[in-house]
Amino acid sequence: MKKIVLVDDDVEFCEATKILLESLGHEVVLAHDGKEGLAKVRRDNPDLVILDVMMPEMNGYDVCVVMKADPALRSIPVILLTGVDKAFFQTAYTKHMGMMTEADDYIAKPVEAEELADRVTDFLGKA
Amino acid sequence: MLIKPTSNVLVAVDNISVMLRCRELLLDEGHRVRTAESVEEALDIVQRHPAEVDVMLLSLGFPDNRSLRLIETLQKARPEIVVLAMSADCEAAGIEALHAGAYDCIHEKSKAAWFLAKIGAAIEFFRTRRQLRNLRREKQSALTDMTHEENFLVILNSLTDGLVVTDWQTNIVFFNKTAARLFGLNKKQSHGRPVSSCIQSDDLLSFYMRAIREDGSLVTLMSGEEPIIKAGEKTLRVHVDPVRNDAGTIIGAAALFHDVTQVTAMDKLRSDFLSMVSHELKAPLSSLLMQISVIHDGLAGDLTSKQTELLGKAKDKTKGMITLVNDLLDYRRIEEGKSVQKIESLDCGLILKRTVELMRPSAKDKEITITTDIADELPSLSGDRGGMEAIFVNIISNAIKYTPKGGNIGISLNQAGKDIRFKVVDDGIGIPREDLDRIFEKFYRIKTEQTRSISGSGLGLSIVKGIVDAHSGSIHVESAIGKGTTIIVSLPVGT
Repeated sequence: MKKIVLVDDDVEFCEATKILLESLGHEVVLAHDGKEGLAKVRRDNPDLVILDVMMPEMNGYDVCVVMKADPALRSIPVILLTGVDKAFFQTAYTKHMGMMTEADDYIAKPVEAEELADRVTDFLGKA
Repeated sequence: MLIKPTSNVLVAVDNISVMLRCRELLLDEGHRVRTAESVEEALDIVQRHPAEVDVMLLSLGFPDNRSLRLIETLQKARPEIVVLAMSADCEAAGIEALHAGAYDCIHEKSKAAWFLAKIGAAIEFFRTRRQLRNLRREKQSALTDMTHEENFLVILNSLTDGLVVTDWQTNIVFFNKTAARLFGLNKKQSHGRPVSSCIQSDDLLSFYMRAIREDGSLVTLMSGEEPIIKAGEKTLRVHVDPVRNDAGTIIGAAALFHDVTQVTAMDKLRSDFLSMVSHELKAPLSSLLMQISVIHDGLAGDLTSKQTELLGKAKDKTKGMITLVNDLLDYRRIEEGKSVQKIESLDCGLILKRTVELMRPSAKDKEITITTDIADELPSLSGDRGGMEAIFVNIISNAIKYTPKGGNIGISLNQAGKDIRFKVVDDGIGIPREDLDRIFEKFYRIKTEQTRSISGSGLGLSIVKGIVDAHSGSIHVESAIGKGTTIIVSLPVGT
């Protein structure tokens, strides 16, 4: 069983996604803002972090930057979730930002259950 | 003998003997005379020969107040004509005529000398007024005569844009009133002083330097990115051009400052609105989609087949709404001219391959077969990556949407002369002939029994058109009802 920290300020999204990830056999810890997320990452040392970008307190990019600058957390893979449209504007801005923050992958919201499950499996393998 | 200038007099009098007497007297004086026996005839003459009536001698004796009404009409339509009223009772009828606009009133039975004196005065009045009018016209036309130096000043000071001209050492040599107001310049302190010491801006000096130092064509090229500076509360867009003498040597630079404070505020408002829409609408929709997906996939407990079916529909509707929001956002971006975000060298083949992979699952859901024919080693295309993806996604997703279960879609990308040609052929429901011209209009959706259940914003193809236009490409559609649709996008490889 792998541990995932999921950080998103949308509570319902978190609840639904938790069910999805648990169905894949993983343990899911939820956080609803960047600061709380970072604290739980430090506390739980998860196998994967899924970060929403637009969040109160501390946004997802910043959480990612802090993680990648911290030798203790750097090796934890990070998937960024962005609200930027997939087909159109993901390219320039998000890809750029994603690289700057060294996120390991990013997924444009809205994401379907299947796609998110596939991406998570890419990192964690089948449970 | 003194030659008196002749005038054109129209005599409109009901009493024939009075008319003949007047005519004779006027002819003796050397005037050109026309006569009218009724108000209608008088009006007819005025209309037919507008330049040939200076003064009208008008009897007030015509029935039904017609004389007065004629005076009023002339006041409006031909105000240059001087009307001299004639009446048997100047005290009573005459006063009304004067109020209506007549110049004077004389008695029908006036002695010849009196009559001629009054006519003479009326003619004099006509001439003076005409002269005055000519003078005024001359004064106006003087503005078009650009040799008057004063006029330059008047024009430059009337501009709503600020203008600051410097010599080749960037010392101020001229500024207009708007510039004086914007930057607090005054003649004594600002003339001859360096522009950098009079206008507080970090960048402005470099714009002037660029215009003065660099080759003119280069400056014009650079004018695409017109710089913005702040002056107090105001936001100003600056355009600097070199000033050349007749020999073509650059002797200075002229900067125009256009106030864009309001436009900038509107832009801010618009982008605030955009991010509001994207966040406030998209976030909950994303959340909704995930929740429905999880339940639909049976992860939150077993479902009956009816529940699965209903949730499947709810999921599709939610996806439709998300597409709508995305399309709206894209469309606004295109309207703002931001469809070409960043020009780079693109491998269209690779982008298309990835896009097709992205679309395969939704085609698979409908058991549609996608075949691709993407040429190897296509020349790279200079364009916007996001734009290219949007073209591919929109056209392919339309083909999937409007092709029934089990259909076929062929996608090809190859070189055709100097163009790269992207072609999508489907064997779907087709587009009615009468709708073909309109499919690129925004919010246009074809309404038929078959399309009713297909969700969409009606923006997809207008977005595509906007991007294709921005890349100087063309788009071509062929379609037959029930047989399918072919869309061909040609994009020039570029320089």
